[in-house]
Amino acid sequence: MKKLFVLLFSSFILLGAMAQVDRGNLLIKNGTVITITKGNLEQTDVLIKDGKIAQIGKNITAPAGIKIVDASGHFVMPGIIDAHTHIALDGINEGTNPITPEVNESDVINPFQIGIYRALGGGITTVHAMHGSANAIGGQCETIKLRYGTFDPEVLKMDGAPRTIKFALGENPTRSHGEGSGIVPRTRMGVEFVIRQAFTEAKEYSEKWNQYNKSKLVKGFRGAPPSYSYRHEVLSDILNDKIIVHCHSYRADEIYMMLKVCKDFGIKRIVFQHVNEGFKVAPELAAQGAMASVFSDWWAYKFEVYYSTAYNAAILAKNGVVTSINSDDGEMMRHLYHEAGKTQKYGGLSDEEALALITINPAKQLGIDNRVGSLEIGKEADIAIFKNHPLSIYGVPMFTIVDGVIRFDREKDPDDMRLMVDPKQAIETATFRDKLSDQDHCMEGAEFILDSELFNANKK
Amino acid sequence: MVETRFIQRITEGALALLCCAFSLFAQDEKELKPVTRTYAITNVNVVQAPGKKVDMATILIKDGLITAVGKGVTIPADAVVIKADSMYVYAGFIDGLSRAGVTKPKEEAGRDRVKDPGNPAPERAGITPQNDVRNSLNASDKLIEDLRNVGFTVAQVVPYGNLLPGLGSIVLLSGKSADQMVLISNSALYSELSGANGVYPNTTMAVMAKWRELYRQASQAKSYQSLYASNRIGLERPGSDRVLEAFYPVIDQRIPVLFKSEKMLDAHRIITLKNDLGFSLMLADVKEGWPVASKIKASGAKIFLSLDLPEEAKKDDKKSGGKSDKKADSTKAKEVTKPKTAADLERDALEKRKAEAIANYTSQASVFNNAGVSFGFSSLSAKPKDIPTNLRRMIAAGLSEDAALAALTTTPAQLLGLSDRMGTVENGKMANLVISDKSYFNEKAKVRYVFVDGVMYKQVVKEENLPAGQAGKSDPNAKVEIEGSWSTVTQTPQGSNDGKVTFKKDGSGYKGTISGGRMPAPADLTSVTLEGNKLSYSYSLSFGGNSIKVDVEATVEGDSFKGNASIGPRGSFSIEGTKNPKN
Repeated sequence: MKKLFVLLFSSFILLGAMAQVDRGNLLIKNGTVITITKGNLEQTDVLIKDGKIAQIGKNITAPAGIKIVDASGHFVMPGIIDAHTHIALDGINEGTNPITPEVNESDVINPFQIGIYRALGGGITTVHAMHGSANAIGGQCETIKLRYGTFDPEVLKMDGAPRTIKFALGENPTRSHGEGSGIVPRTRMGVEFVIRQAFTEAKEYSEKWNQYNKSKLVKGFRGAPPSYSYRHEVLSDILNDKIIVHCHSYRADEIYMMLKVCKDFGIKRIVFQHVNEGFKVAPELAAQGAMASVFSDWWAYKFEVYYSTAYNAAILAKNGVVTSINSDDGEMMRHLYHEAGKTQKYGGLSDEEALALITINPAKQLGIDNRVGSLEIGKEADIAIFKNHPLSIYGVPMFTIVDGVIRFDREKDPDDMRLMVDPKQAIETATFRDKLSDQDHCMEGAEFILDSELFNANKK
Repeated sequence: MVETRFIQRITEGALALLCCAFSLFAQDEKELKPVTRTYAITNVNVVQAPGKKVDMATILIKDGLITAVGKGVTIPADAVVIKADSMYVYAGFIDGLSRAGVTKPKEEAGRDRVKDPGNPAPERAGITPQNDVRNSLNASDKLIEDLRNVGFTVAQVVPYGNLLPGLGSIVLLSGKSADQMVLISNSALYSELSGANGVYPNTTMAVMAKWRELYRQASQAKSYQSLYASNRIGLERPGSDRVLEAFYPVIDQRIPVLFKSEKMLDAHRIITLKNDLGFSLMLADVKEGWPVASKIKASGAKIFLSLDLPEEAKKDDKKSGGKSDKKADSTKAKEVTKPKTAADLERDALEKRKAEAIANYTSQASVFNNAGVSFGFSSLSAKPKDIPTNLRRMIAAGLSEDAALAALTTTPAQLLGLSDRMGTVENGKMANLVISDKSYFNEKAKVRYVFVDGVMYKQVVKEENLPAGQAGKSDPNAKVEIEGSWSTVTQTPQGSNDGKVTFKKDGSGYKGTISGGRMPAPADLTSVTLEGNKLSYSYSLSFGGNSIKVDVEATVEGDSFKGNASIGPRGSFSIEGTKNPKN
């Protein structure tokens, strides 16, 4: 039996080996290089070989045949990382059960979503494609690189990035399950209970397996193995520090509750998502090494998000919490550099601190800071080139480069970037009214009534 | 017509009485055996296998098997001789995935509300791998006949459901009962990556998680059962579990998992499951396989491409300027000189991409063939009457006729493990044959006979007024009769809409009335014209004082018409009509 399971799980690891990722060679000339970790370098070149940064310096000789990007007067920064998105996914919430750690966004990556290209247009190179927040313990998430153009979902995955999982506290899980289905959790207490219960069961489950595996070594042992549960396997992986927890949360009380749960079950790596009241418990978060991924200034969209401030990111950062700013939104994702810039108005962060919120800090939260998030020799060549400083209101992303391959070029930005076209979809084009002033406005905004009658008439 | 059929029946009855006096006492339902099960198809072009043709030969069939193929075959005295002069005969087609003969469950599982959606009963979750499709076979299902009429003789059929609907069977498209139909039972474990509608597993990711868990639990249960069987001492007696036990033949690689894999991402996901778990895999209903051809090949999966294709892009749009108005002719001259607007250019670009997409779907089979991946076809989501047309479209897109034939005969036989008994026209093979009056892939070809397991199905070919290939085109000299009542179906964005139109002779022209849909009362048609086979009529719909004019233009062909119903500038919907029988 043990052999069987070893076999089953080893086949897991073999996955991903098939994916063929494009890695490019490139010389970026004469830009202001914002390294994030090692200051700014004026009129500096960046040489990329086989998708990695090979050299940073002045007047680098171009290797024969290499493609050159002239960045004179431009700013060269690490590709922006968004630690909270739901793009490139077919399915976000398995909202049927409060505990679903066995489901995995890795299985439902959709490389055709146009949102991937739009994010590239905002200088984004890596995102955390997350499960939703309907469940107290949701599904596993996937860290993806925006290699838009591939037809293979495996190619989008950032091979070797640590496993992550979505947790959720507060109104979303209590609404989905308590109100929706009349089951636990109906309250914040209930959310804590289902999480503790799941972890307790998982501990019992792995103890049973450990005991069984130990007994099997004794000669002449006869007995049945514990029943296999995929859910408890994954929960055990969380308890064994194999998965980083990303926990949707708003209120200080529930954040503090979750810190205690982590302590009780020995969970070391946790990133709180949204964390609107994080500023109230910033020292506690820092003390436990918990991180925070927040909005710049988005709140009041439901009751639990009323007590918020645009100073949140700055307060968390100044208290030593590794903090990032995320979008959780396809539109906001395209100007995350503006979102980071707001921390200079609200909190007075330096350029370096503000840019860290969308580069090296989210990289730390995803466990990929040794590979991306700053411009350093040996790191992966994920780069955004801006006209004007990225924190300026005039900042415009001109090029977005992933693994040394230009995936977005503002000068060469075709109208139709779809990879797959639905052969059955009706053609729709935008329509413009030229002479609005000549038209009768009496029924403006009410045309749908006419139309609906017409359509009703055609209905059975 | 009715009369002749009646006379025929009387004659048959009289014959039966004469031949067998006992039948007086026998029950009415008792079937008479055919007089002979020997057939000779003479003077026919035999396509024995793709690329292997024998001209003007004879095929002998006896008791369900092919007993001779070639020239100079002696025809036994008891043979029914089919003079198939210059016709073409092929091995009967084999369908990799279909629901021909499978009864759809009356109540769609997945509508009832579940107390705890996270833990539904397996049936509610769509987990019924133990279901045997034989339990829901109906030999008189019309789809069996429809598929047979285009040349199919054998199909792999599966139960309805979502995640794990059950076990498939390979059936003959013939037979009077479920058991007579079945050739091979439990041919594959059927699965779809579709969720359980509001209960766990609801999403594709949960379906995949559940799949892995069930498979691993089944592997575990199976190992434990064999451990217990070898020595019971010290072990708890393993319980029975119908769901997990259904996986055992899959785990032993005795049967494959047959997955519906319409979309490209389905194929990726299914191959991920296969790589995780190691079962042998069959992919069917594949429509977007061309970008994953090499991955499918590497996975070793057996593959059945869909016979469904997206509709061809309309080419007549430009000719009529996109409008069917009477004014079109007078405004045409102006339109030509008008420069294209931004919206026109956008539309052109979008239409070009759509046409390219359709071309990709159409050339899928050719791409697989060139990549050296052997494949069969499946009809699951195709309309049988479209299949010959779709095959011709694939051939026009680069698939050779031999490759198309192989995908209908030899390859599926091999993929389903049936090569020893079907797939070619050879001595000793089952008498599954298709006979068409021209080469099957010819546009004008019609299937004349189909043999399934030695049983002959003869097709009556209707002689049409219009030359074949021009059906549906307007013909000013055609003579059609529209008087009577017609049922119409209009396709609107809100679904299809049924109506009824009645035409009556009125002097040299026609008048008429319309009812149905949500019209409060029947209304008179405001105009009816019939020129040749071109019918047009108009009527008004009124709502709260507003009146909307509907114009219908259609082409009549025998007892049916097809065309468009347009509602001013708001849109045009396709409409089809069928003449209701008198009385």
